[in-house]
Amino acid sequence: MKNTRPMVLVVDDEPDMCWVLEHLLSKQGFDLRVAQTGDAALKLVESTGFTIALLDVKLTDMDGLDLARRIKSMDASIHIVMISGYYYKDDVNIRKAIDEGFVSGFISKPFHHEEVIETLQGFGFHYN
Amino acid sequence: MDYEALDQLGRDDPYRYKDMFGMFLESIPSSVLLINRDLRVIFANRNFITKSRRTQHEVVAQKLEQVIPEAIIEHIDIASKVREVFQKNQPIRGDRMTYRAPGIPIRTYYYSILPFAWRGEVENVILLMDDVTEQVRLSEEVRRVERHLASVVESARDVVLSTDSEGLILTWNTAAEKLTGYRLWEVKGSSFFERFVSKTAELRQVFSNLRVVDSPQTGEWELLTKSSNRIPISWVFSAMKDERARSVGVVAVGRDLSEHRKLEMQLLQSQKLAALGVMAGGIAHEIRNPLAVCSSAAQFLKSPDTSPDLREECIARILSGIHKASSIIENLLRFARPSSSTEMAAVNLVDAIGDALQLVSNQAKIEKISVSADFSDKEIAVYGNANLLQQMFINLFLNAINSMHDGGRLTVCAGRLENGAVARIEDTGCGISPQHLEKIFDPFFTLSPVGQGTGLGLSICYSIVKQHLGQIEVQSTEGVGTVFTVQLPLL
Repeated sequence: MKNTRPMVLVVDDEPDMCWVLEHLLSKQGFDLRVAQTGDAALKLVESTGFTIALLDVKLTDMDGLDLARRIKSMDASIHIVMISGYYYKDDVNIRKAIDEGFVSGFISKPFHHEEVIETLQGFGFHYN
Repeated sequence: MDYEALDQLGRDDPYRYKDMFGMFLESIPSSVLLINRDLRVIFANRNFITKSRRTQHEVVAQKLEQVIPEAIIEHIDIASKVREVFQKNQPIRGDRMTYRAPGIPIRTYYYSILPFAWRGEVENVILLMDDVTEQVRLSEEVRRVERHLASVVESARDVVLSTDSEGLILTWNTAAEKLTGYRLWEVKGSSFFERFVSKTAELRQVFSNLRVVDSPQTGEWELLTKSSNRIPISWVFSAMKDERARSVGVVAVGRDLSEHRKLEMQLLQSQKLAALGVMAGGIAHEIRNPLAVCSSAAQFLKSPDTSPDLREECIARILSGIHKASSIIENLLRFARPSSSTEMAAVNLVDAIGDALQLVSNQAKIEKISVSADFSDKEIAVYGNANLLQQMFINLFLNAINSMHDGGRLTVCAGRLENGAVARIEDTGCGISPQHLEKIFDPFFTLSPVGQGTGLGLSICYSIVKQHLGQIEVQSTEGVGTVFTVQLPLL
């Protein structure tokens, strides 16, 4: 159990998806920042110390997996979870990203809230 | 005949006339035999001697049956006929006789037997024979050619019909009977363009054009059948001219396009499904987003400690998510459904482009391509088929998207020109090399890796544009991008 409130980065170009994750995670006691583009996300990573990032795979300005790789290279301690309606769990690209270690988990849309919470708890965070 | 001897005779010498008659008999291109009451030949002209390949000695003073044996004139009893002329003093005219002597090619003669009378009594008869072998051969040849032509027309699978210059039907072949259900006797004399085609005024114009222009008129017009069906036909109308080059009628040859149309529709449909396959990824992504929002909102609603405000918001998000997903599906359905016809009507080009853009927007988004559209007017009406135009634009947009591997910009604009509507589709993709540029509209030509492109997209675009009597052009620079320009006639 860690004592600091972990900071979560949510990146999705769909405002509705950001709304969902904002409500879900803040209720769980996470602090979060939202970005709708890859560029905005990178800027936030530079200025803010995130412990978890939830990234959409398809963004308007860059590929979500590329963004994951870049975030990981900026801060290797961030746990990155991809959330996508485009890929599925055993998709080659996702497996490869997990094997390479720059992505820690994958959640496909639509999802059960428990799945998101359990994934985050898997990283050792339990907040309520 | 001795011309010199003739010259030596005085102008009024009666022998001179006798000799001239002799010369005349010798030179006419008919065979002449003079036959006496004993049925002996007393004179044979040179034409007969030459044709029968005999000498004067073998003919003159011989019995008729020896000179012309019955056997070689196919058993015509010429002797009896000669006797009849002697008795009745009446000529026998114009019978045909085939001369079939050994070693001589068969010849056909028209013969006449004329009495040569003195004071009411027939002294001699003349057997006059005109060689009509060549005429008979030619007329048989003409009949053979006529029969051949008739059988060509009759056995043709295409409709072949002829009309007079007013468009009244003269002939109508078996294919026309089969296709329309009307027999020739039912249609003969009725107006082709008033009874058998839907666009009477257009066809009337085609027929009147034929009177002034030399070239055949072609086009596609439907043929109306007895059972009130409309059959698409590709027609070639040609003017029939008389020997003074005056137009006396029209020959129409028409090919049934039903099967062709069916295959064309199938091809359009399979290419459409291939395009849908390309768009499937983008569409899945786009539908799963509103689904995820709905799902999460429902999960929030399930929780007892959700505030009334959040509940309201959840309901609103669910409704809007469902609406979003269903409008994506509706667009998709509209595109995927096979077009029921290729009927042309007034189409707003702006809507056709807008609908197509909406369908590919998901694909553009996941490929990180920004899309911008600019229309000169809210409505640019063209004469066309909305479904086909949409398919054409989707093909062009998907090609543009596929050419931009690392994102880019798709710019679509449409406007009016003096002579038509124009749509311009510009991408910032990899471009097309000059050697490939001339082949891109060919069917099955593809630059995509094996299994990823059918090579039909642009060839279908081309045929759709042609069907709309428009033009499609391409300009491309490798590494810079490609611009497709489509011109369509305004309504």
